[in-house]
Amino acid sequence: MAKDLTPETLTNKDLHKSWFRWWWANEVPHAFDRYIAPSLLFALMPTLRKLYKNDDDLRDAYRRHLMFFNTQAIWGGGTITGIVTSLEETRAKQIANNEEVTVSGDLINNTKLGLMGALAGIGDAIDSGTVQYIFIAIALPWAQEGNPLGSLFPWIGFTLVTYLYGFYFTKMGYRLGRSAAAELVSGQRMQAIIEGLSVLGLFMMGVIAANYVKVSTILTLSLSGKEFVLQNILDGLLPGLLPLVTILGTYFYFSKKGIKVTNALLWLSLILGGLAAIGLL
Amino acid sequence: MEFTVLQALLIALWVAAVQSRGLGYATLTMRFSPMMTGLVVGIVMGNVPQAMIVTATIQLIYMGVFAPGGSMPSEPAVATAIAVPVAILANLEPTEAIAIAVPVGLVGGYLYQFRFFINTFIIRLSDKYAEELNDKGLFFSIMGLPILVSFALYVPVMFVALYYGAPFIADLTAQYAGGWFFHILSVIGGGLAAIGIALTIHVIGKREYIAFFLLAYFLTFVLKPLNVTMVTYAVLGSIIAFVYVLVTRMQNKE
Repeated sequence: MAKDLTPETLTNKDLHKSWFRWWWANEVPHAFDRYIAPSLLFALMPTLRKLYKNDDDLRDAYRRHLMFFNTQAIWGGGTITGIVTSLEETRAKQIANNEEVTVSGDLINNTKLGLMGALAGIGDAIDSGTVQYIFIAIALPWAQEGNPLGSLFPWIGFTLVTYLYGFYFTKMGYRLGRSAAAELVSGQRMQAIIEGLSVLGLFMMGVIAANYVKVSTILTLSLSGKEFVLQNILDGLLPGLLPLVTILGTYFYFSKKGIKVTNALLWLSLILGGLAAIGLL
Repeated sequence: MEFTVLQALLIALWVAAVQSRGLGYATLTMRFSPMMTGLVVGIVMGNVPQAMIVTATIQLIYMGVFAPGGSMPSEPAVATAIAVPVAILANLEPTEAIAIAVPVGLVGGYLYQFRFFINTFIIRLSDKYAEELNDKGLFFSIMGLPILVSFALYVPVMFVALYYGAPFIADLTAQYAGGWFFHILSVIGGGLAAIGIALTIHVIGKREYIAFFLLAYFLTFVLKPLNVTMVTYAVLGSIIAFVYVLVTRMQNKE
């Protein structure tokens, strides 16, 4: 008797399973040559088993998802997990029904490779760069008072929120297929959310900067027998002038030279240390 | 300067777990931010309040540090695991602890790269299991083995650095604390927070948005006597962001 080769139907539960497995594996197997490809295979394994009832097709799919792949976990990984699931499902059905196979393995791989960079760019800037620091900014004052909530709040908050919208992206990717990426990159609603988050992120950075960047001069001037503390004069002029100069200076360094954190650390340490050594700061 | 084998071992295990990324994306904040490691060190050393205060200062220089493509120039969790014990043992000012955190974090970055290097060999095993359609084998080679490798890399290095290194650095720094040299370190420590903030502004993007940064910056100085809480600022910021989006959308429709 011939084995039944019809793909099983995928449910919301299967999607969640894939999303969880992707979320869990994420950076664990990160390697130099193929980056986090194994994580995507790990995520899709149960789904692929449900779709491909023929060992050769299954093996092809396993191989396909061990090739080079690298992206950000939530915006990139969530969406692409969904999109790939929908593509694999279409392909499996075409094979099982002996139709013309329009979804080739190459198409699936090229879709992954084509989307991963742009989505990772958004994801890094929004998740690691903005959402994470909004949580941390809120919790920093607690930490400074010695309260453990300063650590727990950003960790739990960020983990929870990203898990939830990551799964939303997975479902969206599955539902919309390849057009999901366009929705994320240029959809109006998504753009509005990204812009709002950026504004909030920068606003919080302003508050943090005003509270925590400490640069002040210890110089005193004596003019015609009178002592003037330079820092008091500066504070009367514009409070927070020196920290702001330091921050904007570093910002222009990054704009001009690119993100070279180590160099910036060294340069700033040298400059501040030098000024402190000669008694200016 | 008391630092027991158990304490050093517990912190080393924690760092290895974080750097293995074994808890999935939940370990992102643990690796990118010093906050959770600082708390764990505080618990292990029985001094949570001081650990939190020092960690908050370390956090400031690591604001905005993220890992495009997965590798970071510096490892905040590793830096914190060494700097906070030293700060507690030697009773350092938070800004002085930064001088220890920065170089340690840089060294920690190389260890993470080494993890990628070893994983590059493990992936050959995954290739083999994939050919065999061996799901249990794949679970082992994709998840199990890389996590074990991380523990094998980080536990010995961190243990030695903590058990032998931390008390030594603490003794050394305690001798010089308070002098001219520490004034310089303290100035550097106070100013380095500028790096993280500048980086975040750069990462968030659009240059015009700096207006919102400046608005909040000066607003905070003006409102300082009122003791406005961070949550209040977050609410204010959200309203400003909402209004901004609303206005730009209306303009686009016209």
